[in-house]
Amino acid sequence: MPSLHLDDIAVTFPGLAAPVLHVPALDIPAGDRVVVVGPSGSGKSTFVNIITGLERATRGRVNWDGTDIGTLSEGARDRWRGANIGLVMQDFHLFPGLSALDNVLLPARLSRVADAAMVARAGALLERVGLSRPGQKVETMSRGEMQRVAVARAVLRDPGVIVADEPTASLDPENGAAIGSLLLDLAVQTGATLIVVSHDPRLAAQIPRRIALADGRIVSDTIGEPVA
Amino acid sequence: MIRFVLADLKRLWAGSVVIVLLIALAVALGVGVSLQERALRLGSARAAEKFDLVIGAPGSETQLILSSVFLQPSALPLISGDNLIDLSEDPRVDWAAPVGFGDFHAGYPIVGTTTTLIDRTGSGFAAGHIFDVEGEAVIGSAVDLAIGETITPTHGRLSEGGHAHGGVNYTVAGKLNPTGTPWDRAILVPIQAVWHVHGLGHEEDEDHDHEEEEAGHDGHDHDHVEEAGHHDDEDEHEHGHEGIDPDAPLGEHWHRGAVPGLPAILVKPKTIADAYKLRQEYRGNGQTLAVFPGEVLTSLYATLGDMKKVLAVIAAGAQLLVAAALLLVTVIHVGQRRRQIGALRAFGAPGGAVFGIVWLELFVLVAAGVLLGFALGCAAAQVLSGIFAAERGFGLPVAFAAEDGMLLLVLLAVAAVLALLPAVLAYRQAPAEALRG
Repeated sequence: MPSLHLDDIAVTFPGLAAPVLHVPALDIPAGDRVVVVGPSGSGKSTFVNIITGLERATRGRVNWDGTDIGTLSEGARDRWRGANIGLVMQDFHLFPGLSALDNVLLPARLSRVADAAMVARAGALLERVGLSRPGQKVETMSRGEMQRVAVARAVLRDPGVIVADEPTASLDPENGAAIGSLLLDLAVQTGATLIVVSHDPRLAAQIPRRIALADGRIVSDTIGEPVA
Repeated sequence: MIRFVLADLKRLWAGSVVIVLLIALAVALGVGVSLQERALRLGSARAAEKFDLVIGAPGSETQLILSSVFLQPSALPLISGDNLIDLSEDPRVDWAAPVGFGDFHAGYPIVGTTTTLIDRTGSGFAAGHIFDVEGEAVIGSAVDLAIGETITPTHGRLSEGGHAHGGVNYTVAGKLNPTGTPWDRAILVPIQAVWHVHGLGHEEDEDHDHEEEEAGHDGHDHDHVEEAGHHDDEDEHEHGHEGIDPDAPLGEHWHRGAVPGLPAILVKPKTIADAYKLRQEYRGNGQTLAVFPGEVLTSLYATLGDMKKVLAVIAAGAQLLVAAALLLVTVIHVGQRRRQIGALRAFGAPGGAVFGIVWLELFVLVAAGVLLGFALGCAAAQVLSGIFAAERGFGLPVAFAAEDGMLLLVLLAVAAVLALLPAVLAYRQAPAEALRG
């Protein structure tokens, strides 16, 4: 499982005096579970983009197990992300017209790594997240069901890191809680590092390590007792 | 990837259908123009290939060919019947056959000619036999009559103010195989019968005004006054003059001075050199005009070629507009799908896969449009040819040539290149930027 080490990260935009994100140093060891909190505009999304390689930092190094993903080419970063990071987004990003199963398998198929075992695993994962109809078209699903499909897709390739960006924000409390538990359970079960960006207090309370961002800087990094 | 593309196209089916139709129509326009032009050339060349040399009275070469080869009714001036005797006896001539026009039956032109012409130019009999006596007729393959049916000729088309020849009937004796020429719609009768119907050829000292009359046997641009006058004219004759003896034997060896004036003589020279010599001879004497149908058609094609160029430019303009519209649509399309494309990249889909998806999706649309356009253009050409064949009597064969295959390949190649642009646009988008939208 990869561990993350951020070194002297700064993200600036031309015309903005203060950096959008500035992290002199941060370590997230393998298997750690972290929630990133902060008001909107505090740099949470930028943080996610930087650690997943969706965006390149203006300065500094993003080290995953010694690999500085900032030095990888765009294509290599895409490939690296596909293999190592399971992404769950606030608005799912499922592809209408395809079934739940096909959605789960789509990134793997496009990366040409979907074999029979992975197809079987996709089916099992859909069952694991509580969906009984893998052939159902995603556009006919409820929001809670859609996010379940997205979670199954994120963990399909057994990534070392699960990154969830506001996974419960667009769900009702009940579904939000279910998705939160599902993410935690899957992370515990697979030993994957879990990094959740959320302002959902119920979800945040379940995660031991809490990093608070404000104005692009880490203002606190605390480890508390998880509330079960 | 293909499943994803198909799902996407299905989701956006309305827009996809519009794009495909847009392309199809533009392509069909271009394909239709070139196919139809080629069909006209092929069809007319085929109609003319049987006739090497046509001899008629001085006047319009084009008119002579249109009337004698394409059987378009018109008033041809006559040449002396002695020309037929001269040609028949000329050692440079393989065969020479007269044609006489003017009568119709149910819209089909009745052409008076000789057994020689039918033997030499026809493609054999589908049923029955050639005319043996004056009252028998041979019909082309497209004439909707049966063997044994009776034909009553009318002078000029009934629909155009023609009148029936009282007491004259032919019996269908044979039906020819299709030739794909206007002659498929013709009813062929002995030329002797045509003369007799019009009161010619019975006597050697036939009135001159009858020959004039023959000249007007088109029933097309005559006004009614003239038609009426024509009636009176005929009424002056004894009915023994007008009318045929259905059982009279055919004599196709005429004597000098006994042959009435003829609108045209179709000549088959023995050699190409003979053909040129004959044309020279019958062109320079002031009495006759000799033309090669092929040559007349060539000059017609030159005119058609210019028209085709104009049409081709219009078609190309339409295609250009469609291409521009298509580019606009695709750029908008990619813009609208930024999030989707960004998400694909975010979930680790390789750039190549994203590129492939966008490219494939557009290429599928354009290729479908191009193929449909070819089908539409071909179908339109067929329909036009069908209408033309029904109206004019000779088929315009719609045929694909190698250059059409090239056009198809070129269009597909252009489509492939065109689809690259949005694919590159999609490929170059940073995933985070796309997701943010």
